[in-house]
Amino acid sequence: MFDPNEDPEKPKFGFMRIKHLPTRCLILGFALLSIVQGGRAQQTTAADSALLERVTTLEQQVADQKPGESHLMIVGLTTFGFANSKTVFTPPGGPPQTAKANSFPDADRYELSPMLLWRHGTKWLVEFEPSFSGGSLGVNWANISYFAAPGLVIHAGYFVLPFGIYAKRLAAGWIDKLAPDPQGIDLPGSDFGIGVSGGLPLGNMKWSYDLSLTNGLQLLSDGEIQGVGIVDNNKNKTITGRLALLPFSNSSLEIGVSGLYGNAADEGSNYSNANSTMYGADLSYVKTLKPFLFNVKGQLSKVLVNRQNYINPVDSTNYTFDNTSTFAFAQISIRPVSADNNIVKNLELAFRYVNNTTPSNSLWGQNYNEEDIGLDYWLSWRTVLKFTYAKSHAVSTQKVSAGGTLGATDMNTIYLQFALQL
Amino acid sequence: MTWIMIGGLGILVAIIMNSCAESKKVAAKSGVQLWAENCQRCHNTPSPNSFSHDQWITLGMHMQTRAQLTNEERDKIISFLTQ
Repeated sequence: MFDPNEDPEKPKFGFMRIKHLPTRCLILGFALLSIVQGGRAQQTTAADSALLERVTTLEQQVADQKPGESHLMIVGLTTFGFANSKTVFTPPGGPPQTAKANSFPDADRYELSPMLLWRHGTKWLVEFEPSFSGGSLGVNWANISYFAAPGLVIHAGYFVLPFGIYAKRLAAGWIDKLAPDPQGIDLPGSDFGIGVSGGLPLGNMKWSYDLSLTNGLQLLSDGEIQGVGIVDNNKNKTITGRLALLPFSNSSLEIGVSGLYGNAADEGSNYSNANSTMYGADLSYVKTLKPFLFNVKGQLSKVLVNRQNYINPVDSTNYTFDNTSTFAFAQISIRPVSADNNIVKNLELAFRYVNNTTPSNSLWGQNYNEEDIGLDYWLSWRTVLKFTYAKSHAVSTQKVSAGGTLGATDMNTIYLQFALQL
Repeated sequence: MTWIMIGGLGILVAIIMNSCAESKKVAAKSGVQLWAENCQRCHNTPSPNSFSHDQWITLGMHMQTRAQLTNEERDKIISFLTQ
């Protein structure tokens, strides 16, 4: 408010009214300091905000990466190679006939099988392995497992039957030490059904069981048996099981026994009482004796069908035979795992002997034996290059009057195979 | 067939005569020891760096169905591989 009596020279602002100079300086100093601090605070706040924003973004990214309950992954295997074979067939009293063949991929071991594993939590697991092998698409297994309790896994679907050790654990190309599979060891194969399995401690030992109830096998018109597939051929089911003991605390030795029993006849056929029975024993022993790692595997399988009358395709009469087959293999591999040289320590020498006997006087009877020797080079723990030489000798015991042929077949095959776990 | 049946009976007798509990020696085994002993039963021992944490859990369950590992073996091996 205008005061006419006010001295015009008197400062109008309060600060300038302070006459004491040190005080004025002190107040000015505080004011300047406040301005600077305020400026710094603004800068710090801006920096904190940016930092907080960055931290929040990172936390969100971490949360997005955090594992949930479900997990899907793809593994699997691929195997391909080259086989060069020479086959000599010698009929009784006749000259030998020679045939040579070679192929990319080799005759029985080309395979591309991506396996899908889907897990929900730690209780459910789905395993699905389609396969392109031998020029056709198929499925190796497609099943779901429920981990019900320690030592109890329940599974259902299409799975490898629990018979022996080879089909379920050793057949993959990146695991098998030699290029070809042991002939005849593919029975009983995979089937549709349900099963239970588990491993349990036993003091210093360990034991395991694997049981299944499935559609079963099918008896063919010539007495051979095969998996029946998705459409069951009769109202009966087949039970298959394996019991194993690992007697050493380091699990180096495993001894297993297997069995299978079920009706194999098509419903309403002439073979209505035909039962398929299989017995098996297997052994696995892995031991390091420096500088070598020894790996021994073996399996014996016996397949029986109770006596039936089969139709002779030549004259439609009945004929019969003792339908018993035996399949066996034994193999050993040696690897110098403790060698100093990196190339030498990745080499593995393997040898396998195979012996099969199928029913004489059938249309598929023979006595067969095979010896394989191979040298593998491991590029990694799951990638291998194999060189295998296989020599086999088979003597036919077929029923000639039913259209079978007699003679001896000798085959020599060289395999070069590459196998990889995907 | 007789020898196979005798072998099966022998396994059953061993199971019956021993309790379904692991010994102290087996219980004290570490994950790395179980990894070395069990993986090589079928294939080469895998490198822990081959798969991620989640992948090892899934593979552990798959291996349990293949090799009939005990629950404790599976858990200890996965714990070692994912550390």
